[in-house]
Amino acid sequence: MYIYIYDSFVNQKKYDKTLARVETRITDLGLNGKIVRIGVMTSVHDVIDSEIRKGASTIVAVGNNSIFSQSLNSIVKHSLVNANRNLSLGFIPIDNANNEIASLLGIGLEEDACNILSARRIKTLDLGQANNNYFLTTAKIETDGTKVEIDENYFIEIAEPGEIVVVNLPTNEVPISAEVSNAEDNKLELLVKSKSAKKIIPRKKSAELNQSYFSFKSLNIINQKKFLVLDNCLNVETPAKVNIAKEKINLIVGKSRGF
Amino acid sequence: MFNRDQKEFNIKEAETIIGPSVKVKGNFHGQGNIIIEGQVEGSIKTDKYLLVGEKAEITASIEVGEAKIAGIVTGNISVKGYLEIAATAKINGDINAHEVSIEKGGVVNGKLTTGNEKSRKPAEEIK
Repeated sequence: MYIYIYDSFVNQKKYDKTLARVETRITDLGLNGKIVRIGVMTSVHDVIDSEIRKGASTIVAVGNNSIFSQSLNSIVKHSLVNANRNLSLGFIPIDNANNEIASLLGIGLEEDACNILSARRIKTLDLGQANNNYFLTTAKIETDGTKVEIDENYFIEIAEPGEIVVVNLPTNEVPISAEVSNAEDNKLELLVKSKSAKKIIPRKKSAELNQSYFSFKSLNIINQKKFLVLDNCLNVETPAKVNIAKEKINLIVGKSRGF
Repeated sequence: MFNRDQKEFNIKEAETIIGPSVKVKGNFHGQGNIIIEGQVEGSIKTDKYLLVGEKAEITASIEVGEAKIAGIVTGNISVKGYLEIAATAKINGDINAHEVSIEKGGVVNGKLTTGNEKSRKPAEEIK
């Protein structure tokens, strides 16, 4: 049974026609299900938890990175408590803005995403965990004022302004090759990007050695002013312990995915 | 930064790369190849290869499988296999390695021991 979770921003009038086309396509493909429209006061977690208890097996996030991330977290947290491993997450991205995760998963916009949903190509992927939150792609924080302790053995200090990026599934902003980092290797990587630098190290053999790269089991990040940003949308306060999660996610992906 | 004509090293195989803007403090124990272009204080251990760049500054004891050093190292160095000391290297500490080469210009202030019996593979017993 499919449950469609509509992000609050798609309730705007300008998306009415788009949603109508999506819903028609869903009906044509026989993927009908319940639609839940998220309001400002609605908890995505409560909605998804409730729907799964009623028998939903596929949750489809409709919107952008934010609703995808919230749905992913809700599914994983439900799975954790209820030992339910048969849940899948689909995604129908609406509008180009803030939808980098969709393109990474090979999911086209709006009606195209319905076809991908219908094909039901499922990949089970690793997740990163930062305290009690989960992320599929990256966790980022600015280097300014940030302390990082790795594997409880050593600290790193960064002299130049830039960004610390924990990578589970590399995005276009973090162009590491899939050989070095992917969401099926059961590990995370830490990159330190300085603002002046243009390239990330392990992409090419001849790349300049102006970035830092660490493999780790767990790390602690502390910054009293800045948030750790998961999947470019979810802010997490620090201190945050970051590690690879024991839980995985079943994602419906497209053929043209970037991994 | 290493010149391209220096020893071939596959960056993709590096488990850790410490760039020039990064300083590491503590016990840095890895299991793969390590490239250091920044600063390290504490200790470094790996069974694999360590590459210390020209601009790197290390104040640490080092225990590695093989190494090439082109930067500044203050601390004792123990290498199970081959240690290559480049012309730009400045090492203040004792060195214990199975094999060592020092390029003209490389500086070593400390005791140098090579052909360590412990680092050699045990000889087969004669029946």
